[in-house]
Parts: sequence; structure tokens; C-alpha cells
Amino acid sequence: MFPKGSNQILGMNARNQIFLRLNARAGRRIADSKILTKRVLTKNGLPTPGLLKVFRNVRDIFEFDWITLPDNFVLKPVSGYGGGGIIIVKKKAKWAGQWRLMDESIIDVSSLRHQALDILAGQYSLHNLPDWAMIEERVKISKVFRKFTYQGTPDIRVIVFNKVPVMAMLRLPTAASHGKANLHQGAIGVGIDMATGITTYGIWQGKFLKYIPGTKRKINGLKLPRWTEILTLAVKAQEAVPSLGYVGVDIVFDKEHGPVILELNCRPGLEIQNANSSPLRKRLERVSGLDVVSADHGVRIAKTLFAERFADRVMAEEGIKTIGVWEEVKIRLSQDEKVPVRAKIDTGAWKSSIDKDLAREMGLLKASNVLWTKTYKGSLGQEKRQVINLCFYLAGRKIETIASVANREKLRTPLIIGRRDLEGFIIKPGRI
Amino acid sequence: MDFFQGIINQAVSGGVSEETIVLFLLLPLVASVVAAARHLIGFRGFGILIPTAIALVFVATGITIGFLLFLIILLVATLTRSLLQRLRIHYLPRMALVLWFVSMFMLLFIFVSPFLGIGQISGVSILPILILVLLAEEFVTVQLGKSLREAARMTIETLIIALIGYFIFNFSLLRRLALERPEWIIFTPAVFNLLLGRFTGLRLLEFRRFRRLFR
Repeated sequence: MFPKGSNQILGMNARNQIFLRLNARAGRRIADSKILTKRVLTKNGLPTPGLLKVFRNVRDIFEFDWITLPDNFVLKPVSGYGGGGIIIVKKKAKWAGQWRLMDESIIDVSSLRHQALDILAGQYSLHNLPDWAMIEERVKISKVFRKFTYQGTPDIRVIVFNKVPVMAMLRLPTAASHGKANLHQGAIGVGIDMATGITTYGIWQGKFLKYIPGTKRKINGLKLPRWTEILTLAVKAQEAVPSLGYVGVDIVFDKEHGPVILELNCRPGLEIQNANSSPLRKRLERVSGLDVVSADHGVRIAKTLFAERFADRVMAEEGIKTIGVWEEVKIRLSQDEKVPVRAKIDTGAWKSSIDKDLAREMGLLKASNVLWTKTYKGSLGQEKRQVINLCFYLAGRKIETIASVANREKLRTPLIIGRRDLEGFIIKPGRI
Repeated sequence: MDFFQGIINQAVSGGVSEETIVLFLLLPLVASVVAAARHLIGFRGFGILIPTAIALVFVATGITIGFLLFLIILLVATLTRSLLQRLRIHYLPRMALVLWFVSMFMLLFIFVSPFLGIGQISGVSILPILILVLLAEEFVTVQLGKSLREAARMTIETLIIALIGYFIFNFSLLRRLALERPEWIIFTPAVFNLLLGRFTGLRLLEFRRFRRLFR
């Protein structure tokens, strides 16, 4: 009756019935107050953006000397939700008491004060209950994220369950979301491979994206920096608030401080499944009941269990690469001219060696490219050989090196690659 | 189970109107439909209060008039809200102003309606209209922080549920059942909601939302 796999998807009913039940009242109280969150996290030695001021009543707002605020800061409700009521100030404008927002418009003290009063009156809090307002340091966007940023700061949502980060997404604010990172407000959600921190799919207002809207930049394939650190931080946040069993941790990447925890969400949304094209309930069930001893352990479990199919290949690229004995390399002649050549990987030789005729054909023997001439003692007796500059690609890696020129006419390949150029490779002697 | 029926018969002969009894008995049923619309279908709606209240208003005023009033009030409330957004005033005074506009407009409408040939409106009891006016605040609050599309969707879903509620209240078979076999109307919603409260499967609309995840 139901489509296959429907019991692997986390729907609203299951989330509320099964998983949100794991969030005890004490934990929800902490997550719902940004100040309490900050206090608890700081006590546990976890990084959060600096707190500049809390307004607990109307008097606080009028007694506060707004002029003393730094160049950039964020005014937000302590118990806001869905990114409502937040004003992000980018820099000081020309006159004292005026600032510029992310979209370059100007805001003055009286507008800020008014916003703070609205926040206190409960306009942005859950159920419109009276609230506090706070001013926080603004997180400065790290360079890696800058090209994905329209207005506002992209953040990374990690869902942590039983000390294992089960799913993550990058949230990119857009014009439609008014700089907020909330998917319901119109931000883009981008799935992230748990093993490598590489983005996979994008989703925007229920539609799948290949490119960032309005640009030709691909949405997938971006590698987030310091991914392991981000995941570990997310798990540590749950460890700091153990009464939250199922929590969304929002992390921003600060230019100077690296990953910083922005807030905890005790009712994380379900759209993350679409962004990752992957059902969440299945992942939660796999992790449920595991005995996770530390944050590092949890991260290792996540990386092993939830790796995308491409993860193996990428992880290999990061470290050691495996090649066969016979490889096709591309010799680089100029900016856009690369010639494929069959090569033998030869660990018996130190230097790479290229056939004389081939080198001449490619124009590698012109005087400016020849480094020196040397008398060689090889298995074929003594001979004079030229040594030239050579640049080639082996298994996708660019190798700039020197090579000796020899007559290899009667040998099987016009090029051998020696040990000098094989740093970071493993050679598999059999067929691959 | 003649017990319940006995009580009802006694009450009716004692002067309690049948309509009152029927509405009271059917109210939990309508509320259950609202709950089912949330948990089985996936309508987001406005909670239980608004759809049920609107359904009752429809019953009291008749469907055409009720629908008309609902649309007018919603329109005026939404328009004034977006107008007042530009004025920087506090939340509660702003809401009071929204209600001011809605009330004034309704009064005007009632004054003008006899000349427009829809005289029935002045005959409608004032309480249902007042309830609709007060619901305007709820509407506006829920609309806050949501996109226009989202707000429109929620409104339409609410209307659908309210209409279903209206038809349940007016369904003659159910009305007869409520008077003749009240135990069914009393216990079915209770059992149904106990079961519904533990349902953890996907909602109907979630099959569509997550259709890409079925492989």
C-alpha cells in the first residue's frame, strides 16, 4: 500500500512522537533561550559569538549607550525562532549613531531601539510571550563561504542524535529569505556528505538546484573546511546539554575563530532530508542504542556509516593515491595543450626519463628547456643524456619535475616515471 | 446503551433545544476531523480553535453569508496589517488598530448591505460576526513571519477543514445518530484520537514532500 522506503523517512508525526520526546524540558529551556545556550556552552569551553548586551526591560533599552556599540553586531530576540526579528549590522555609517545593514541600507539608534522594544513586547518570540533582546558580535564570514553568500551568514546545521552527527546541511541565505538561514523563509539548503564535508544537492523552496540561483556556480562539490572539527563541535554541544537527545546544532564559520556555535534547535526541521536526498529515520535507527564513548567516537561512527558513495574516492585523494604500473599521463606543453602519453611506473629508477624523439617532437628539447647534460651510467653502458624540465599529470595530480632524455625507441613506453616523482602514490603491481 | 438516549430524551422534553445537544455532540467529531487533517493529511492549519470556530459560524450564519463575511474580514485584516507595518507602532496597539479597521468595515458593511440587496446580513445574530472579527487577530499573528504563499496555503487549508466541519454539523444522518445513538458519536472520537495520538507514520502530504527519497 505504501511506497517502498516510506518507513525510513522521518515525518512530522514520528519526529514529534518519538524523537522530540527525547528532549527534556530542561534542555528545551536552554535551547529556546539564546542566552542560556551561550552560558551553558561557554561553561563547557565551546566557542560562541561574544555577547555585548542583554536588554531585560524597557529601562535597559533607554539607558543603554548605543553609540558605544562596535562597527558590526547583531540585535536579536533571546527566544526568537525561525530567524525572526534579527537585525544584522555590517558597519558604521558616516555619522555616529548610524550603521549600515547587510543590504547597505542605513539604520539609526531610534530604529534599533524600536526593534528592541518590539522584541521585548514578544513580537518575535514563540507564542508572542514577553522576551528579552540581546546584542551579539557579528560573525565575520570566512572566505570559503563568501562566494556562496548573498546577504547574511551561511550556517551549517548538524543534527546530533545519541552523540552521533546523523545528517548535516549548509544553509545559504538568499534575497527571498532576507538574509536569514531558515529554509522556510526561503534560504537554500545544501546537503553535505558526512564523511568528507563535500556538498551534494541543493534545495530551494521545494525545488532541486544544480546551480546557485543567478550564478553559474555549481552547488555541489564544495568542500567545507575543517569538517571533522565542525562535526566534533556539534557533538560536544549535545554533550554539554545532555537533556537534549535529538538536537540541531547551528554552526557558523568565523573568519578568525573558525567554527562557532550559533544556537541549538530542539525542534529541527525535516527538509534536511530533501537537501541530502536521504531519509533520516533510517539513519536515526542505525545509531539508536549505540554506546558512544566520546565526541570523536561519534564523529567516526558518522563518517563510517553515512558516507556518500563518492567519499572513498575523495578521501583517497586527500592522502595517498593508488596507481598501476602502466598509466597514461598527460604531458603539459602549454597552458592549454596537454598530450597523453603511455608511461611505466618504475620504482627502480630515481629520475623520470622520456624518449628523445618524443621530446623533440613536443619541443621539449629547445635550449631554454634543457637544464644540463650529464654522463649517465645506466644498464646500457655509458651515455650522455640531457636533463629537461617536465610537467605532467599523473592520476589527476600535477607533477612538476625534471626528466632525463634517452633513446627509448625499443622499449615499451616512451616515458618512465621514477621514484623522485612518486611521492604520495601507492603502486599496485597487478592489473587494476 | 439506552442510557445516553434516555438522558437526551429527558433533556429535550425538559426544554433543552435539540440543536444545542446536536452541536455539543458533534463538536468533538469536528475537532477530531481537524486533528486528522493535521496528522493524517498534513494540513498545517491554524490549530483547532480557528477551523472549528469558523465551522460553527458557518452553521450559525448559513454558508454563503458566512463565507462572504470570512473573506471580507480576512481581506480587511490582511490589508490593514500590511498598511500598518510601515507605521512603527507597538504590537498590541497595532493589533487593536487592525480590529478597529475590521470592526468599522463590518459596521459599514452591515449599514450598506440592505441597499446592495443582501439584506439577510442584518438579520444575522451579531455573535458569530464578532467571533469572526476576533479571529482576525489570530489570522494576522499566524501570517506574521510567513511568506504570502504560505499564509495563503494555510488559509485555504483552514477553509477546507472549516467547510468539512460545517457539513458534519449539518449532515442529517449524523444529526440523527447524535440524537438516537449518542454513544457512537460520543465514543468514536475518543477512541479515534487515542489512536491518532500515537500514529508515527508519514502524513499524506509528506509522501509528496519527500517523493525524491523513494528510490
